[in-house]
Amino acid sequence: MSSGGSDLDKAIAQLRACRPIPENQVREVCYKARELLIEEGNVVTVDAPVTICGDIHGQFHDLMELFRVGGDVPDTNYLFMGDFVDRGFYSLESFLLLLCLKVRYPDRITLIRGNHESRQITTVYGFYDECLRKYGSANVWRHCCEVFDYLALGALVIGASTTLTPTDGPPAPTNTTQLAPLDSEIEIETLNAANEIMYRYARDSSQASNSQQPSTQSPSASSPTIPTPSNIGPAGTSATSSSSGSPGTPGGAILCVHGGLSPLIDTIDKIRLLDRKQEVPHEGAMCDLLWSDPDEIDGWGLSPRGAGFLFGADIVKCFNYKNDLSLIARAHQLVMEGFKEMFESSIVTVWSAPNYCYRCGNVAAILELEEDGSNAGFVRRSNGERGAGAGGWILGSNVGPNTSNRHSSPGAGNGNGNGNANRLGALTDSVPQRRRDGPGRRYRVFEAAPQDSRGMPAKKPVADYFL
Amino acid sequence: MSTHHHHEIPNLRTLLGSRRGGGTRGRGRGRGPPGSSHEGNEAARDNAVRNTDQDAAGSRVSCVKLGYLLDPYAQFFAIQPSTRRLPLLNRGTYVRTSAIDLLVDRFMTIAPDAPKQIVSLGAGTDTRFFRLRDKYPEATIIYHEIDFPANTTAKLNSIQRHAQLYSKLRTTPPSSPLALESMASSYHSPTYNIHALDLRTLAIFEDGQLPSLPNLDPSTPTLILSEMCLVYLQASVVSKILSAFLDRYVPAPTPISLVLYEPILPNDAFGRTMISNLSTRDIHLPTLATYPKLADERLRLKSQGFSNGFKAADTDFIWREWVSEDEKERVAGLEMLDELEELELLLRHYCIAWGWRDGGEGGLFTTAWKDTRQQEEG
Repeated sequence: MSSGGSDLDKAIAQLRACRPIPENQVREVCYKARELLIEEGNVVTVDAPVTICGDIHGQFHDLMELFRVGGDVPDTNYLFMGDFVDRGFYSLESFLLLLCLKVRYPDRITLIRGNHESRQITTVYGFYDECLRKYGSANVWRHCCEVFDYLALGALVIGASTTLTPTDGPPAPTNTTQLAPLDSEIEIETLNAANEIMYRYARDSSQASNSQQPSTQSPSASSPTIPTPSNIGPAGTSATSSSSGSPGTPGGAILCVHGGLSPLIDTIDKIRLLDRKQEVPHEGAMCDLLWSDPDEIDGWGLSPRGAGFLFGADIVKCFNYKNDLSLIARAHQLVMEGFKEMFESSIVTVWSAPNYCYRCGNVAAILELEEDGSNAGFVRRSNGERGAGAGGWILGSNVGPNTSNRHSSPGAGNGNGNGNANRLGALTDSVPQRRRDGPGRRYRVFEAAPQDSRGMPAKKPVADYFL
Repeated sequence: MSTHHHHEIPNLRTLLGSRRGGGTRGRGRGRGPPGSSHEGNEAARDNAVRNTDQDAAGSRVSCVKLGYLLDPYAQFFAIQPSTRRLPLLNRGTYVRTSAIDLLVDRFMTIAPDAPKQIVSLGAGTDTRFFRLRDKYPEATIIYHEIDFPANTTAKLNSIQRHAQLYSKLRTTPPSSPLALESMASSYHSPTYNIHALDLRTLAIFEDGQLPSLPNLDPSTPTLILSEMCLVYLQASVVSKILSAFLDRYVPAPTPISLVLYEPILPNDAFGRTMISNLSTRDIHLPTLATYPKLADERLRLKSQGFSNGFKAADTDFIWREWVSEDEKERVAGLEMLDELEELELLLRHYCIAWGWRDGGEGGLFTTAWKDTRQQEEG
């Protein structure tokens, strides 16, 4: 597969058809992927708009459903939070497709590591056996594991809008609540796979249940549905004036990580300092980031998984404040509804494997974050430039809105960036302020791909039960 | 017990043969008209039985090898080398087995000198009798297993092949294989009995004569065990089978109890998926719809005649409440378990229900199980 190009496109086409590619091609793709990934920091900076996805677990046909619902690559920017492999029957095809897409469109897709991207776990949970079965040797598994070691540990999404552009879709038949009016500041929208609106909450809506903000309604909340003009200033925007009525309040960044926090990590910079290019250790900060879970406890607790920790609301809120985050997005835990916001929307679990293990009956979700100031979230950026290192999400780094064309790269906002490290250092001494408004969040919920689309009657998934 | 249902499922399906042409699992064979191709499917069905039974036995061995369960006998019923099962399944098998062990242990240790009778319905490759012999060498146990001839024949075969098994059936050395014909399907002795019997025949003889169950003692306190067995039958049939024991085989005032292990909650997303998945394997669970919740299980026990106690708890509750902290730590340390949410989901969809009729004085089961906590909700 010399220099990507058509060979790579052919591999992508083959994988999209759920057919494995030859071993030598796997080796080449993995080599190229490593070259790309080695250049990424432990925490990748990703510009909104981006669609955040949780566990896939080898459910290839459901990954295709995800792309159908969320838009194809490269039209939609994607951030996958790990656990591509194990459990499902098509770990190989799923991971290799994502990896090929990464090599083909490196700025359009971000892959971070999950706890299953590990030699030890894949030997227990299926990926190793699948590689042996499909290739007759463990070579492909070995190539993939080498890639695993280079996957980033987290991502930082910057430039996400605090309000959503309302989706122009009909209410879902299941909808029983009043949809927030279109001219309100939309904080959350949940759509089904048919693009019907399951519910829509305004930022000041009392219906937003667990996502309600401890804030008063802004007198200037009559923000237009189609904001004028588009603001590309990183984070800060006049359209996010809901909480305190102070225009220009920036939304913080969104940290994406597979599992959660670690007692050894109090700043994002500490994640950046880890030596990640290794098998997932049994303990320590790197392990925790991939294994931990939020839980209704105070402080830290032991994880019943045997790795990582449980962490409570106080930990999340403190971490978010200290690191100027508005939200932590993570995966790792099955949630029947596809996503679950906790701790006053300071953290969300996104789960993208519908009917997990062909047994659990759950729906899946992906989380769309719009570009700040965008007046049409469905208009995607046409280039893959990114403002790496842009510090626009940093508290106080922006005062007024920057007017610029929404089609330009958010990198245009670099002028505001002072470098995350410096600002974070300064932050630790700053006076506590109210927590940030989270980004506007559009959840697209979808079910498992129809059985007949799988085209595999001979190898029908058989779920185990205690019978 | 890990999935020893497997072999009984296809057999039980023959009971429903008047409705379905017992097709081979997963082949998508259409349902036939009443009684269709019954004979023709026999071989294929038996084959499926053997495969699933060995799968089940291997699964149990996996659990033993990893240290979840102590069961030196499981290996003798596994022909194929076992493959390691997912931690999720090992954990579930552990909870189920240890929960039933606990109820049985409390039965065995109450009035330890008094004889005890256990009737295991659809016992399959269950090793409980052999484990009990080791654990309570002094106890007087009258143990009965009832299963289809294909299963009991295979089981007796395994027993005959292994001195570790048949020696447990002998009270005095030197031990030698049992004096049985080569294809024997039943075995009877004062302590261990294997009855080759289609359980539904117990429901047919309403007013007439019930099938003989040799050595079943009508006056010995009896525990009936149904691990994923009765759930495959129609509720009305199950009720008649239980009545046969309560009224005829072990009539009052002999204390009698029933311990059920079976799924619950068929109507939520997981439950619906389970029913749908199993039906593609041509497995149906009629009483699951009849008794969807813990409360239904309790009520059913009570109205059946287990009037002195009728309790139920899901296996998630049992893991949390019945298993000691030390033991939890030990089990959790055996394998890294990444499927926590899935495990919880799975465990919440299975229950142990136990009910009893104490009959005369003493309140044997009431005493034995007084400290066994049930789940308040559900």
